[in-house]
Amino acid sequence: MKKYINIALFSSLILFGSCSKDFLDRPMENTAPAETVDYTDLSLMYQPVSGVYRTASKGAPGFIHWIDVAMRAVRGDDLDKGSTESDQSGLDEIKRFRNNASVQAFWGLNNCWTDYYGVAFFANEALLELDKFAEHIPAGDETNRALNNRYKAEVRFIRAFAHLIVSRVFGDVPILVDNAVINEVEKSTVEQVRQFIIDEMNESADALEDAIPRNAQHVGSVTKYSALLLKAKAASDIAKNDNGSPYWDIVLDATEQIIASNKLRLYDDFYELFKMPGKMSTESLYEMQYSDFGNSSGTDVRPAEFFAFQGPSGNQQGSPVAGWGFMKPSQKIIDFLTERGDDIRLKTTVLYAGANPSTFVETSSGDKVYGNTNGQIHFNGKAYLPANQMTPGRTAYGSDNNVRVFRYSDALLLNAEAKIRKGQNGDAPLNIVRERVDLNPITGATLTDVLDERRAEFACEWWGERYNDLLRTGMAETVLADYGFTSAAQYLPVPQIQKDLNPNLQ
Amino acid sequence: MRNLFILFLFLTTTLSYGYGQVKTITGTVKDSQSLIGLPGVTISKSDGTGSQTDAAGQFSIDVSPTDSLTFRFIGYTQQTVTVGDQEVLDVFLISEDQALEEVVVIGYGTANKNDLTAPVTDVDVESLTKRTTANPMQALQGSVSGVQVVTTGAPGSSPTVRIRGVGSLNNENPLYVVDGMFVDNIDFLNSNDIENMSILKDASGAAIYGVRAANGVVIITTKKGKMNMRTRVNYEGYVGFQSSVNMLRMANGEEYAAMQLAKRTRGDSLYVINSIEQFGGNGLVPRSNTDWYGELLRNNAPMHSHSLDIMGGTEKINYSFGANLLDQEGIMDAQNNYKRYNLRFQMEAQAFDWLKLGFTAHLNNSTLFSPDNGAFMLAYYASPLYPVRDPDNVNAYPENFASSTSIGYNNGVFNNPVAQAHYNYDRTKAFQVLPSVYADVNIWGDKLKFRTQLSQRLASHHKYDYTPEYYVDNTQRSQLSKLTSVQDRYTNYIWDNLLTYTDQVDDHNWSVLLGHSVREDRWRKTQASADDIPANEESWYVNLGTRSITGYEEAGTRNAGLSYFARGTYDYRKTYLLTATFRADGSSKYQTKWGYFPSVGLGWVLTNEKFLQGQDFLNFLKLRGSWGKLGNDGINANAGYAQLNIGNDYSGIFGSIGPGAGSYIPGYTIETQYTNVGWEVVEEWDFGLDFTMANERLKGSVDYFHRLTHGLAFNRTRALRGGTLYGNFGDVANSGFEFNLNWSDRLGDFGYRIGGNLTTLKNEVKDLGGIAYLMGGQTTRPVRTEVGKPLNYFYGYEVIGIYQNQEQIDNDPITAGEDGIKPGYFIYKDQNGDGILDENDRTDIGSYLPKITYGFNMGFDYKNFDLSIVFQGQAGNKILNQNRAARSQFSMMNGDAEFVTSLWNGEGSTNKYPSAEATTNGYNFQASSFWVESGSYLRIQNIQLGYNFNIGKDDKQTRFRVFATADRPAIFTNYSGFTPEVTGDGVAGLGYDLSIYPVSATYSLGIRVSY
Repeated sequence: MKKYINIALFSSLILFGSCSKDFLDRPMENTAPAETVDYTDLSLMYQPVSGVYRTASKGAPGFIHWIDVAMRAVRGDDLDKGSTESDQSGLDEIKRFRNNASVQAFWGLNNCWTDYYGVAFFANEALLELDKFAEHIPAGDETNRALNNRYKAEVRFIRAFAHLIVSRVFGDVPILVDNAVINEVEKSTVEQVRQFIIDEMNESADALEDAIPRNAQHVGSVTKYSALLLKAKAASDIAKNDNGSPYWDIVLDATEQIIASNKLRLYDDFYELFKMPGKMSTESLYEMQYSDFGNSSGTDVRPAEFFAFQGPSGNQQGSPVAGWGFMKPSQKIIDFLTERGDDIRLKTTVLYAGANPSTFVETSSGDKVYGNTNGQIHFNGKAYLPANQMTPGRTAYGSDNNVRVFRYSDALLLNAEAKIRKGQNGDAPLNIVRERVDLNPITGATLTDVLDERRAEFACEWWGERYNDLLRTGMAETVLADYGFTSAAQYLPVPQIQKDLNPNLQ
Repeated sequence: MRNLFILFLFLTTTLSYGYGQVKTITGTVKDSQSLIGLPGVTISKSDGTGSQTDAAGQFSIDVSPTDSLTFRFIGYTQQTVTVGDQEVLDVFLISEDQALEEVVVIGYGTANKNDLTAPVTDVDVESLTKRTTANPMQALQGSVSGVQVVTTGAPGSSPTVRIRGVGSLNNENPLYVVDGMFVDNIDFLNSNDIENMSILKDASGAAIYGVRAANGVVIITTKKGKMNMRTRVNYEGYVGFQSSVNMLRMANGEEYAAMQLAKRTRGDSLYVINSIEQFGGNGLVPRSNTDWYGELLRNNAPMHSHSLDIMGGTEKINYSFGANLLDQEGIMDAQNNYKRYNLRFQMEAQAFDWLKLGFTAHLNNSTLFSPDNGAFMLAYYASPLYPVRDPDNVNAYPENFASSTSIGYNNGVFNNPVAQAHYNYDRTKAFQVLPSVYADVNIWGDKLKFRTQLSQRLASHHKYDYTPEYYVDNTQRSQLSKLTSVQDRYTNYIWDNLLTYTDQVDDHNWSVLLGHSVREDRWRKTQASADDIPANEESWYVNLGTRSITGYEEAGTRNAGLSYFARGTYDYRKTYLLTATFRADGSSKYQTKWGYFPSVGLGWVLTNEKFLQGQDFLNFLKLRGSWGKLGNDGINANAGYAQLNIGNDYSGIFGSIGPGAGSYIPGYTIETQYTNVGWEVVEEWDFGLDFTMANERLKGSVDYFHRLTHGLAFNRTRALRGGTLYGNFGDVANSGFEFNLNWSDRLGDFGYRIGGNLTTLKNEVKDLGGIAYLMGGQTTRPVRTEVGKPLNYFYGYEVIGIYQNQEQIDNDPITAGEDGIKPGYFIYKDQNGDGILDENDRTDIGSYLPKITYGFNMGFDYKNFDLSIVFQGQAGNKILNQNRAARSQFSMMNGDAEFVTSLWNGEGSTNKYPSAEATTNGYNFQASSFWVESGSYLRIQNIQLGYNFNIGKDDKQTRFRVFATADRPAIFTNYSGFTPEVTGDGVAGLGYDLSIYPVSATYSLGIRVSY
């Protein structure tokens, strides 16, 4: 009897154990399968776009990682590496156009490549997400369809900007519009990349909001005029020094549209333009936004070490205005600004420090900047955020400040340049830029005047503008001669690991 | 008639004289293993009378030939011998412990050692308890062939265990089965709790564990009482001191200053000049000479442990109870220690004749204060040119630690290490219960049995990590105090049902096992953090600080498994052996749900054959072979679908108009690059030989194994966007030989034994799914995987010397076009001889997998003393000294003294090390063989000297043992890092040495009392 009870017990246990079918078949814990996005809820449609903005404003991937910033800007003659000689000496090799094994082995090389392409990757995914939302827009709902197109255009702007940046550093690079072929994609030439940007902006500009970013529906998002400026910049890169190039027409047309809209105005105070009062001003056409939410503690959304790496080195006696000392304004730019009497720009571009650790220089905003044992007395002034503008309680340098990318003055100066190159009068836009910093207006402006103004206006910024201007105007050979410029080394080599992973990049 | 009667009497008396005639026989009774004579053995005849052996184990007794003598001695299995014709009788009694030794624990059951077809190692638990380690697996280092145990130094840390090479880049650790419960590590166990440990190394042994078994299985049964056993009490305790051994000496102030000055740049010299100005010095030699590691380490960190266990049994119930306590201080001179106490209770009751019920519970409780290991990394980088404390650093609070910015360093990697270690409070309190209940049912006599067992693991860890408000300098500061509070909960269960049928007919024996197992593992972590928390510990709750919008996180996993398995064994006359197993495993982790794992093993005991009878050269010789398939599900569970990244971290900030602050607009990104991951399947062949020779004195085994892992899962670097993608990308084969040899003998009072094991390993990638090669590891000094070579070998240039003068540079074609190369730089070899140095000149510069791992031990005993020494080592592996290579990012960092003082400083000074100036130029930091060093080592693992004595008499003796132990006292290696045992997560698991925690040796004294 007990034997049969035992057998019955055993068999029932077996059956019990194997009966629940979904014991093995459940989704993984703590993940949100992509399928859970409700594409029918069109109020969620901006979310993928917001995600791309956030990705772009981060470091890895993103546009503001400190080594990436240094790598794209250091080749201009407005910036020296800064800090001590042996600190990130690879940057000096890059500055001296030595594309040798040492540069190949530099850790920042692959870093900046993957950071930019990471943004392009996520932008492509966001576009696919927007397509999925688009499938659920009812026929006849023009409002939502227009919004969907506008959102796609915003993402395409960021993707195009990523390609602009990566091509400025590496030259011939692949255009990534389809993530499925990421392992095989081939290289495109510099011209093809710029043409891609122009084409993208042609398709996007009208879909974007006709407002300035400051007044956009999502405050700070890119708008029609941001796209036009990007298009103009790409066109100027193709046009180069050829005054007869049809691309100068594109530049002229795009910048004329921006100016004619009458929506943009230069911010009056150039010094404060880069500080708290100048955040998302009427001049801004694209800005990376950050926030400390006005709180003295808690979350602080910041661009990683972007500000810290440019802050003044040495013992700053507890002041938040401190950092690692990179991105130092060069003696050349200081001399240039001094000679042309450009005081406001000089005061904005350069942050002066004491001659040694016990002496200090007080800035016009009331911060005492002490010296350091290295003897470096100049630091990047455009990254400077005065302590009295910071939210009380915050100690991170640059907390709550934005990173300026595109400004209206760029459109004005490109407009002036295009006009002069086409034999027209370029005085009006040039003088708007000059008057903002209390410089005397010029009549009968020449190309040199415009190019000098560009040099002064964008000195020591973070997008490689000066180096790009020298390359496209053919001035690099002379101006950068003492750094050893050769056109063979004008771009950095594609990182070895990328060539290993995708032989089409050889 | 009367004559017949007389004849009958005569015959009977004569005959009975022949058979019934009393004679005296003599003999000796000895222990079958140690061959020592046993005094006091009771010898009884069938009529109840008897005698005893004398002090030498000898006896003399009057018997008649029909008598049988029974030999009894406490602790030994009794033997009955028929006298027969013999005049001299030598009896070998087998101790009960040794009788148990013949029985080996295998998967879901036990087997007689001689009947196994698989190489199962039964670990000598006695030698485990000799090691003063917190973790029993650490104690195994070097003792078992084919098992490599790699330890880190920190208290409370688990070692990495590899059985038979690296077949997987994921979980390499074997499956631990403790009293039926599957656990990931045995940190919570004390060696004294272990009764039996078996290691199943190959497919046919481990296949019964299916998808968990690819890395081998370690089966542990904890101590249990026995029926009808007198209560036994055992106490063991030891006190020890730990201090760092084989410390790497970092360059001192003078050496570091010399290196900086040799670079001949203003920036580098400034550090020296500033140090002399602020902290004193003479000429160009600074006085400041801080030994950061010395400041961080404490010598003679104490450690002590106590274990008590009581076990016994009556006719129907047996029980065992154990308690142990471990208290270990860490060697960092800051709050770091590990305290653990365990309680163990086991009871088994014979409820009915056919039903036995049992219950086991382990309870353990531990508190771990973790040191900030980042402080050791900082100590490696830190310049010796500034002191620990500096009264001139007026802004520093609460302690006046010195700041490296005062002499010009301005990056976070040059933070003050002592300050980093000091401003740290990281405590984890863990609590775990492992209850288990089982029922053994005899369905049909001794033949058909059923067992059901439910084991659970319930654990909860709470960790809080508090950083106080402090300031040292701009980069080393915490404006507000911060608290992170983490709670982990584990609930696992496993339910096994086993049906066994054993039978025999004549000389055929067979058994069949059918099993069913269900299990579920759940883990959940909840974390919250906040700023500005009050300083006293009672107030360390996150609601007392400022809430952070992103200061919370939750994570969790759930894995479930369902299995059906079967095993059949058959043997004929214990000479021809066959074992076959099959397991079907279902797992919830992957997209493929079910896996099937068969195995078969054959054995042939040659010494039972007629042609080997009658010789006494070979006592035992068995030939065996096996094949099987195992699975490894230690791979990351895979979603197998695109995932959303949502939340504040993926939401953009908008509305940041000056001077106001912006705010979030909800957003997300999608991670669409994923693969369908499945478990790795290992297919293994094994051939082996077990032998015992020379009168049981020489025992050994030789094995050859070949393991092929299909679907090796690892991370591959992604094109263009960087990062890695995880998936099953290749097939890799591990093969090698394992040798085990043990010799033991006695010469009178002196006994000795010598044993050794050696494993050779050859690792080769067999298939990469059509891809030519894969890169991994670090991007600047990568590892490469391609078909036909070991997995993840280091890939770079070969360094063949140093340029001694400019002429040499000018004559070398590869330097054409590179105007920055100076004397003192590395000479890279132009492998293809084309006169250009480029990517085609990169080559295989070594593999992190050892070619041989070995261990050997010696033991001596003389009267009451015993001494044992264990060695362990490995050879043929390479390590990439990432600590030295970090100089590429921070050339002004400090370095190990050997490197700093050996730098090239002129023609002919050295052909191995570069110049100081070369260490600032990226040309010398390319992936090359300079950074890849040999990781071979030989270590004295353990030395123990003991003295045994007994108090009391006969049956009620109390045995004492006093011992002194040195654990890891010395290591012999040429590697220039802290330890050649490199292990860890991420790239550390690929042979990149990022380790900075010094290894310590423990010297201890202990006592064991058994009653």
